[in-house]
Amino acid sequence: MMKRTSPRQELKKTWSSMFETGRGARIYPYLMVLPAVLVVVGVVVYPLVYGILSAFYDVTLRTLGSGKMNFVGLRNFERVFADPVFLQASWNTLVWVVLNVVAQLGLGLALALLLHRAIPGIGFFRSGILVPWVVPSVVAVLTWRWMYDPSVGIANELLLRLGIIDDYHPWLGDTATSLYAVTIESIWKGTPFVMLLLLAALQLVPRSILEAASMDGASGWRKLWHVILPQIRVSFAIAAVLTFILTVNNFNAIWLMTEGGPLNSSEILFTLAYKYGFKRFDLGMASAVATMLFVGLVIATTIYLKLIQAREGD
Amino acid sequence: MQIASIHERPTKRVAMPRIRSGLSLPKPLGKFLTYATLWVAFVWSVFPFYWMIATSIRGKDEIFQRPPNLVPHAITFQNYIDLLVGAQFWRFALNSLILTISVTIISVLISVTAGYAMARHRFKGSVMLPLFMLYGQMFPPVLLLIPFYVQLRYLGWLDSLYGLIPVYLSYMLPLCVWLMRGFFSQVPFSLEDAARMDGCTRWQAFWKVILPMARPGIVAVATWVMIHTWNEFLYASTFILSEKKRTLPLGLSGLIGQYTTDWGVLMAGGVITAAPILIVFFFLQRHLVSGVGGGAVKG
Repeated sequence: MMKRTSPRQELKKTWSSMFETGRGARIYPYLMVLPAVLVVVGVVVYPLVYGILSAFYDVTLRTLGSGKMNFVGLRNFERVFADPVFLQASWNTLVWVVLNVVAQLGLGLALALLLHRAIPGIGFFRSGILVPWVVPSVVAVLTWRWMYDPSVGIANELLLRLGIIDDYHPWLGDTATSLYAVTIESIWKGTPFVMLLLLAALQLVPRSILEAASMDGASGWRKLWHVILPQIRVSFAIAAVLTFILTVNNFNAIWLMTEGGPLNSSEILFTLAYKYGFKRFDLGMASAVATMLFVGLVIATTIYLKLIQAREGD
Repeated sequence: MQIASIHERPTKRVAMPRIRSGLSLPKPLGKFLTYATLWVAFVWSVFPFYWMIATSIRGKDEIFQRPPNLVPHAITFQNYIDLLVGAQFWRFALNSLILTISVTIISVLISVTAGYAMARHRFKGSVMLPLFMLYGQMFPPVLLLIPFYVQLRYLGWLDSLYGLIPVYLSYMLPLCVWLMRGFFSQVPFSLEDAARMDGCTRWQAFWKVILPMARPGIVAVATWVMIHTWNEFLYASTFILSEKKRTLPLGLSGLIGQYTTDWGVLMAGGVITAAPILIVFFFLQRHLVSGVGGGAVKG
């Protein structure tokens, strides 16, 4: 007896058999990646090209309105370099990146080594230490802003009780401390992710290597330096590049605590570009700063990819 | 005797191989130092979170009292009531929810198909495309911000939730595809071939054999997108202008006043905004951790 099929099933069969052999089989992987490629070209590649180009045009609200933007060559860059705030923001960015990357990697590695042990209660500590990573960034930043409150903030009270300060201090309102105060929040927020990456890497180190090192009588530090670190060096480098990228792109912490102030003391290039673009509405100048940041990040990304490939080749 | 055995403390301890990876000190001292350091790290990590909750359940006069008490004296839920009675907060939450669901569904659909094809098939560009995706993730948002602004303005999509969807895809999709390819490349494709030999079509083999095995990866990617969309602030604060279209993070930052801020209500809002993320995280902890560790590092 013939099995009866509905037209719908028939259609389904034809549709799926189209890709079974011949030309259909060859094009179907392309069909599957097509949506992703289209979206990425539309929302990443095209805006990117546009963004870089607009660094060389006079893009302001006025020219956007009339639709007539003129090519101005390097004029936007010249105007950026002539702004004294740019120099300060560059210096602040350097301080901000170095402090964040060094502290997050150092603390992240220490925590990963500490948590990579089978001792009672380790799950409890691990979950707790991941909390900063899980709390939404805006919520975390606003909480820290509240803790730094100059008149009733808990940070002041705790430091006072520990005898570190003599009186309450406006951490975010003082040009000497604002950048560092924000940096501490950023380190607090970013370290658990570094810890996770390094912990994952540590778990891949074969136990036999560690045991062999212990048997040869290697002491703690030497074991760390000669056995463990070489084993996780690629992950460590990847964590370093990722931390670098995330720090350069960390807008929320600075914007929601100080908006780059007071007196640009916590201004980084990102927030400066943002102000050029969306406070002054000089999008050309904003694009010039953003393009410079982009070049720095591309260099970092290239290193990142090289490292991944080196690792896949291992 | 039956009862006694029930109440006996479970003595079964799985013997775990001990690996000490740090300093080797005399045992009791080493143990003490380890736990002391762990406690310091724990308190440092959890304290701000504790402080947010502790602030959210205090009365107004206690919040602005100097010196502040570490532990609230009188617990009140007035801040939560103040927050939830207004229609605004619900509006923000609804906006966040709509946006999160749309972006998650779109990114998962697109990245599953692309990731699968890249992992499974050799075709022109099957090596370059994933790298291209990874590069796509690295672009500084500030560089894309300006073209997005110009484009959204041109399309008349400024100040709209649907205008944010393509913007968010730009910042999620490349990494989703990259991670998904990583997950799919761990699936043993010999099983798919076996299913095809048994007469399955491509689609059936994919749907019934491959997809169930890739489920942990899909869950990890979907969760990653959900969390990031829910938390996103920069794009939303730049492109959303009117109050009723704000998302939760935007609404929270809007509670910061020029001269005074009601920190009790703000912290209550923080707890409510963080709650779904924390719940998702603690249910999926293992998936996410292996997803981030395995996917991002191994590719």
